[in-house]
Amino acid sequence: MGVFKYLLDLGATVMLPIIIFVLGVALGQKPGKAFRSGVVIGIGFVGIGLVLGVLVGNLGPAAQAMVKRLGIELTVVDVGWPAAAAIAFASRAGALIIPLGLAVNIAMLLGRATRTVNVDIWNFWHFAFTGALVTAATGRLWLGVLAAAANAAIVLKLGDWTAPMIQDFYGIPGISLPHGFSAAYVPIALPLDRVIDRIPCINKISIDPESIQERYGIVGDPTVLGVILGLILGVLAGYDVKRALNLSISMAAVMFLMPRMVKVLMEGLIPVSEAAREFMQKRFGGRSFYIGLDSAIAVGHPAAIATAIILVPITIVLAAVIPGNRVLPFGDLATIPFMVAMVAPIVRGNVFRSVVIGAVVIGVGLLIATNVAALHTQAAIEAQFTLPEGATLISSICDGANPLTWLLMKIASLLG
Amino acid sequence: MPAEKQILVACGTGIATSTVVAEKVSEVCRKNGIVANIIQCKAIEIPSYAAQGVDLIVTTTPLPQKISVPVVNGLAYLTGIGEDQVSERIANELKKP
Repeated sequence: MGVFKYLLDLGATVMLPIIIFVLGVALGQKPGKAFRSGVVIGIGFVGIGLVLGVLVGNLGPAAQAMVKRLGIELTVVDVGWPAAAAIAFASRAGALIIPLGLAVNIAMLLGRATRTVNVDIWNFWHFAFTGALVTAATGRLWLGVLAAAANAAIVLKLGDWTAPMIQDFYGIPGISLPHGFSAAYVPIALPLDRVIDRIPCINKISIDPESIQERYGIVGDPTVLGVILGLILGVLAGYDVKRALNLSISMAAVMFLMPRMVKVLMEGLIPVSEAAREFMQKRFGGRSFYIGLDSAIAVGHPAAIATAIILVPITIVLAAVIPGNRVLPFGDLATIPFMVAMVAPIVRGNVFRSVVIGAVVIGVGLLIATNVAALHTQAAIEAQFTLPEGATLISSICDGANPLTWLLMKIASLLG
Repeated sequence: MPAEKQILVACGTGIATSTVVAEKVSEVCRKNGIVANIIQCKAIEIPSYAAQGVDLIVTTTPLPQKISVPVVNGLAYLTGIGEDQVSERIANELKKP
């Protein structure tokens, strides 16, 4: 146990490379290659930390200035999923998440509790994130690990349950999407869709996705979004032209660079995730199983993208008007397609309905993200990301606003 | 030296699944002696990249719009089922003049 604790205390940039190296070798990789994978993951963490510093260091003061000038109290910076994923993997629960996630999946497959062979190791971070929040809330690692395992199990069940609908709508036979973020919105979207069915007139409205995408496509580009939002925030904060323009380009830089840093992390993880996939498929091959993939394969669908484009301005307006919200949406404005990727099949591609459902879950989600901000920030600090002085709180929509994550955290906190 | 082929590899994020696919595609190119520039992007960015002229699109997600460039579905690289057929299709597309 002493050795283990020492490892965990080394910090993510050192600990994860060691874990990935050991895992890689255990799964049959050559030591040289496994070593490189580990180091690349460490580099990814360093990179994400740098960009996170630029984001919070620029957006934090602007948010504070906005509060002083206009009384809009949006002081919690939405750092976006890349940072949330890094925080999750860097947490103590995150250190265990790959073997834990595989073990939960294998146990459920052997017990015939799931049909999904989840080969999407990368997205285990969602489970790790739940674990990190629970560990931060209760101070107990075992509760965090338990919550992460429960999250993995629930998401596998959601993947099984939605598989026929997903396969049909997206034309991807044999595949399920056991995705910690996208799948969490299915149990909410289903009843909301039924409610819309019962409202006269409203239940007749249908919008087709193609027309929207062609007209407003550029807003969906995160870099452009960064420029525009940076400029607007600069103006709201009362900055002069020079400072506003600088903020604008800095925000574009964050939108552009953050995903690239995550890509580095991904590159390091690929060999391990490939080895894990082969390991799982050798044992659980065959037609009776679904292969669980990232919902990234679904978000290119016109219905998901069109919905997300409309939801971007709605999210910003909701953030400003919802009483009690403190989250300034930013990093995850580009993540909204993931929120609606599994909602689109439920509403049969009707963009009107997915926008209505999306607005509801974002509205509630902002309050959830506000609620977890303190823990989210604490988890980032525990993962040894250095946040600038005078620290603003941070949160995210993915997974800071995730209702399933929040529910699991509340239950675990009661136990703790 | 043959002209460099421009290949677009796309998924929902331009990070996650497309990184896996991009690595496999570059392997296919190496094996077949094809010189290629592989660009990774989000599905939403496909139209703007395609306008700059690309030879092939490999995607793991449905395309948001109709595109005149040949498209190969790269899902097989994620599921591990039918990988060889997809590699063959990619190689054949790229060998066309």
